[in-house]
Amino acid sequence: MAVSGFEGFEKRLELHFFGDIDEDDNMLGLRLLEFESLEQVLFAVQCTVVSAVGNPFFDAYVLSESSLFVYPTKIIIKTCGTTQLLKSIPPLIHFANNLGLHLQTCRYTRGNFIFPKAQPFPHTSFKEEVVYIEQNIPINLCYRKASVMPSKLPAHSWHVFTATCLPPLEFPHEDAAFTVEVCMTELNRHLARQFFMKSGDGKTGDIGGKEMTELTGIDTINPGAFICDFAFDPCGYSMNGIDGDRYSTIHVTPEDGFSYASFECVGSVYDDPDDIVVTLKKAVQVFMPETVSVSTTGCSREVWTKVAHAFEPLGLKCRSFAMDEFPAAGTIVFQTFTAARRK
Amino acid sequence: MGNRSSTAKIVEMHSLAQWNEKLASTKQSNKLLVMDFSATWCGPCKWMEPAIEEYANTYPDVEFIKIDVDTLADVAREYKVEAMPTFVLIKKGKEIARLTGAKKSELRNLIERHRNSN
Repeated sequence: MAVSGFEGFEKRLELHFFGDIDEDDNMLGLRLLEFESLEQVLFAVQCTVVSAVGNPFFDAYVLSESSLFVYPTKIIIKTCGTTQLLKSIPPLIHFANNLGLHLQTCRYTRGNFIFPKAQPFPHTSFKEEVVYIEQNIPINLCYRKASVMPSKLPAHSWHVFTATCLPPLEFPHEDAAFTVEVCMTELNRHLARQFFMKSGDGKTGDIGGKEMTELTGIDTINPGAFICDFAFDPCGYSMNGIDGDRYSTIHVTPEDGFSYASFECVGSVYDDPDDIVVTLKKAVQVFMPETVSVSTTGCSREVWTKVAHAFEPLGLKCRSFAMDEFPAAGTIVFQTFTAARRK
Repeated sequence: MGNRSSTAKIVEMHSLAQWNEKLASTKQSNKLLVMDFSATWCGPCKWMEPAIEEYANTYPDVEFIKIDVDTLADVAREYKVEAMPTFVLIKKGKEIARLTGAKKSELRNLIERHRNSN
């Protein structure tokens, strides 16, 4: 493992709002946020937009350090490196309030940093992150929980903090959606090389991104999705997939010694549980990592049971399982997988 | 930043009649027309705007028009616009290329490739 390098592990923030969404606004909610306001939020986090696309359901932005999704009543920001993601909370709440929207639920998740000492305030420890969030969300979000979900691997645990003003029996399952967050480390070197720019090529940005998407087969993970991709100089890759109201997102740090890739997508309780397993397998196959962690939020028992066996054909065995309940988020399951040949 | 009158180079289509006239006019020459399908509620479209203005200034031989997918929903449907922004390149009344998404470099490449082609 390298002494220092780019931090691939992301911090993820999901904020849900409620309010009077006027009929005249076509239920646009947060999509009415001025782009200049979003830029201010991203400035606080220290990242910028590099590519974007929108459809009738939401806007998806590829950032210099990951992704941003804006729905009418929810915002999801996922950033890697040494970004100060939590600093987005005060301005987002402020701008949302201007639109007559109020924070209902806050959910913050992340894995373990490969280089924790390189992280700036307030990300120097989970405790500091929780204190910061609590100081910056309204006090009426009174149902709160913070926990670190363990695995058998010291380098892999899952940090979760949720806060909501919804009382326990009212946690909505408005679209019965669940989220799956996959973190992969020790990527297959040969496959990771595909995420380096070809020397002398000069093809970065959206042009280089498109090539990487096709070369690596990322476009086959969900053939129905529209992909917005970006290749970084000298290496690195990000993409957002949009398919109706569902997003998927992949981010790759390919350097040997601290290689990392993440895949995140959304599923529904109305889907065939096998579908999500097929999708996850395809995603992992692009990278063939030595270690995978999968965190599911809000899915059924059937789904996470299938996930436990999902990677066996790829030679990855489930090594740990942790499950916990969180306000508004529901059941979060955290499983880790390593190569079967390892003990 | 440049002078603000550059925005006059991107004409917004306000009616079907105006669009039909514009499409017909492309048959009179070999000029490239770039259609920018966008929506007022689409953040990515706003992010892309400065790039389109820059290209309209850089390529005066190329015509740029803007179509709001709500105002001219029929045209958006005809060109199968599902995500925004979508750019459709037209020559002699026919679609020769398209690009979906706020992809600055790729749009520039497409314009460079097609502005002088036959």
